Amino acid sequence: MKKQNVLIIGAGVAGMEASQLLTEAGHKVYLVEKESLIGGQTIKFEEVYPNMECSTCMVSPKQQEILQNENIELLLLSEVKEVNGTAGEFKVKVKKKASYVSLANCIGCGACYEPCPVSLDNNFEEGLSKMKAIAVPCAGALPNVPAIDAENCLHLNGKKKECQACKEACMFDAIDFSEKDETLDLEVSAIIVATGFDMLDLKKLSQYGYNQKDNVYTALEFERLYAENGPTEGKLILRDGETPKTIGIIHCAGREEQGYCSAVCCMYSTKFSHFLKHKVPEAKIKEFHSDLCIPGKSHQKFYQEALKKEIEFIRCRNIQDISVEKKNGSLQVNYQNGNIEKNTFKANMIIVAPAMLPGKDTKNLAETLGLSLDEKGFFATKSNELSPIATDVEGIFVAGCAEGPKDIPDSIAQAEAAVGKVVNLSQGKINE
Amino acid sequence: MSKKIGVYICECGTNISDRIDIDSLIEEISSLEDVGVAKKYGLLCSPAGKKYLAEDIKKEELTHLVIGACSPREHEQTFMKVCLEAGLNPYLFQMVNIREQCAWMISDKEAATRLAIKYIRAGIKRVALHKSLEKIELESNPDVLVIGGGIAGIEASLSLAGPERKIYLVEKTDALGGMTNKFAQLLPHQGANLSIVKDKIEQVNNNEHIEVFTSTAVEDIHGFLGNFEISVTNQEKDSEKKEFKAGAVVVAIGFGLYDPKETPAFGYGDVENVINALEFETMISSGKIVLKNGKPPASVALIHCVGRKEKGYCSKTCCLYSIKFARYLKDKLPNVDVSEFYQDLCLPDKSDQNYFEEAKKKGIHFIQSDEIEIKDINDRIKVKYKSAEGKKEELSVDMAILAPAMVPSQDTPKMAEMLNLPLDETGFFKEAHEMLNPVATPIEGVFVVGCALGPKNIPDSIVQSQAAAGKILSTLIPGKKLEPEVKTAEIREEFCTGCQTCLSVCFYGVISFDEHKGISIVNEAICRGCGSCVGSCPSGAIKIKHFTYPQLYREVLEALR
Repeated sequence: MKKQNVLIIGAGVAGMEASQLLTEAGHKVYLVEKESLIGGQTIKFEEVYPNMECSTCMVSPKQQEILQNENIELLLLSEVKEVNGTAGEFKVKVKKKASYVSLANCIGCGACYEPCPVSLDNNFEEGLSKMKAIAVPCAGALPNVPAIDAENCLHLNGKKKECQACKEACMFDAIDFSEKDETLDLEVSAIIVATGFDMLDLKKLSQYGYNQKDNVYTALEFERLYAENGPTEGKLILRDGETPKTIGIIHCAGREEQGYCSAVCCMYSTKFSHFLKHKVPEAKIKEFHSDLCIPGKSHQKFYQEALKKEIEFIRCRNIQDISVEKKNGSLQVNYQNGNIEKNTFKANMIIVAPAMLPGKDTKNLAETLGLSLDEKGFFATKSNELSPIATDVEGIFVAGCAEGPKDIPDSIAQAEAAVGKVVNLSQGKINE
Repeated sequence: MSKKIGVYICECGTNISDRIDIDSLIEEISSLEDVGVAKKYGLLCSPAGKKYLAEDIKKEELTHLVIGACSPREHEQTFMKVCLEAGLNPYLFQMVNIREQCAWMISDKEAATRLAIKYIRAGIKRVALHKSLEKIELESNPDVLVIGGGIAGIEASLSLAGPERKIYLVEKTDALGGMTNKFAQLLPHQGANLSIVKDKIEQVNNNEHIEVFTSTAVEDIHGFLGNFEISVTNQEKDSEKKEFKAGAVVVAIGFGLYDPKETPAFGYGDVENVINALEFETMISSGKIVLKNGKPPASVALIHCVGRKEKGYCSKTCCLYSIKFARYLKDKLPNVDVSEFYQDLCLPDKSDQNYFEEAKKKGIHFIQSDEIEIKDINDRIKVKYKSAEGKKEELSVDMAILAPAMVPSQDTPKMAEMLNLPLDETGFFKEAHEMLNPVATPIEGVFVVGCALGPKNIPDSIVQSQAAAGKILSTLIPGKKLEPEVKTAEIREEFCTGCQTCLSVCFYGVISFDEHKGISIVNEAICRGCGSCVGSCPSGAIKIKHFTYPQLYREVLEALR
């Protein structure tokens, strides 16, 4: 078979799976990732349902494989800017931002972090901690190589030209301030879009009282709060310094507004309860939900086990009517249960599960690739096909949450399916 | 030939040299037996370091190599490649992690150095017992056996078939299409109509690279990835037997339905005009929605989650197809009163909610309920239920349509035994890894897709078929030889007592029993080298290459000294 190049956009679980498999098929892969690390959202999770497996332990071998694979050219801090041509001969322009740290020279010792005088919100940690202008966002990040935030680096933004603190601390000559952003011209025969998802910004839904000050947490914030490599190293310390004792978990935030169910929130909310009960056995936990969406052969058991641990699941009459308010200094969930009685629950921690949204760059990328979006804003796939992988543009495929909310195994299956289609296409076989 | 072990300590910039006294470490170990050279270097993984190492291996004519540096996860592969370049068998190399396990762990330099010395000694003693291991290559057959001619099996066949890959598609009934043959219509987001399925069946029949066997049962499958031997018999033509070979197997044997009679409360088989979902599909196909008395129903109840409690899982598809039924009823019989009795509406796909909202607009009632009981009262169906408010309520209807749970196909246990595949506690096939490897199984080269793995809708089944195709197309490449694992288990015949304990612990099913010799046999071509059998063998007859008892014993002995 002729060796062909394939472009994969997004290095989360779906993109990593597709990349690795395609190289086994003999293709060369350009893996474009906008962040400075790979693994996507799954590396933010401490554990995954339903087996409460350690997520980083599960994903890091995959990340290592990607980094060691000679047929994968990983382009970090990169974005696809332009695509021309057709299947078999796409011409792609990728903008690669300078990281100012040499991937070849850096050994990841971290000696440069400490001397850096700049302190920034760590977005990977959902702003729950600070990071330096040169650093990896969390322990265990892969590749274990920091990037310099050019906007905030005093040397690079010119605010203090003479600052070279990181360069001076580096023993390996890995820091190169002269590195420039580059535009790469790639020729590829096929493209797989695996750009994942974002979460609805809870500030847009005022009823949850989310202000980043009180003990109201988004699901992703809680994932980081309980992660061993997170801002508190897994210690459950709330914003007010307390530990969680009475916890309300609210499902379906933004479901009605978005017009779809995000498929994974019931399960991961139940996961939170399992975790909290394990860490704080005396905790009182209530889950406020509408319909429980727990398809999958092993999922109901996970829920039933939560019931056995005396986690209370409250079906709410109307999930939109739930509100959180601060009364006399403590948080309170207002809700209506099945009996339409107005009820309240005082909690010292609230976790809210927001809807999964198309990734922020979806619209721009769709324009660049010539793809259409569905009415919810996710990438649309061919309407006359039974599976949602092929798009209307021949040679471009979608995998994972870029196509719609789904869990890890479904994302991986889509990635493998996309690989099958790329291999067939490269052999001149067009299925369907 | 005498041994000459080379020991190289990486300073890792100052990561190791700051925290470990490398000079005294080298002094300590250089007099050990068989150690020819012991040196330090700034950064061995750098291009210059690798070049230096390769040249030194050649110059010093080393027979074995020990590197004290970072974690093997970081650079073991790097240095194995250097060995290859320098003409040293890469299995005659041992990496010792003195960075993460010594330098970064212990702040007291003297203590860290003491520990590093122990670990390096352990590496030296171990490597002296290493043997060269060579990669072997195996011929493999690119053809694929697909079991099950439903939509999943059809899709797998179409995705895989090609000029260099023949597909054997085996279906036990006399027609392709599986359960979809019983459906009158598909859901809107699953394509407009059933003609898509009919087209696919035609494509299969017209594809010269797919050989279809209908009314045929798989009798036996033997072998391993790249080399399966299969025999099938035709159930009609006097049990005509056929044999062929394939490199991979895709199991797509679908699902069965829960028999509602197992839960008498649903009244199925007892109360007139209580039918199941498939019977209603047949009714739609006939175009006549009628009761036993020939009249159209004025009111219909759709009962979700039949058997969910008993089976312990949600079947994912029932909510949506029950809504499909309700919408069909409303379109056909505009005055009909339709009520959906559900526990939890499960609408996880992005277009599902719209479909549901549209149904609500058509005036379909959705009643969240539990503890359903269906009774025949004066020739009318009475649905008794507990409402969301916890009250006992009831509703009289003319017809009730039950949505039974999806259960494993009745052929599942037999197929699992034939292929040595594990089942999970729900009775469906078990994935190789529920999260990361959803269509593979512990048996290399055997894949399971569609509802054989668990309840799912048509798009998800098709994605899984395409996923298995993606894995097979990428790994079982026509003309390409397979390279099995090198570090495999070996059974020493003279010690094996034939107790067969190892057979029961091997997750990958690679051990068989030789009745003639009375001993267990490992198929090294497919052994993954996990070592479970080694631990289980009561007579110590099994060893794993590169992890033999003497190698491990010497290593541990030195580390604990």
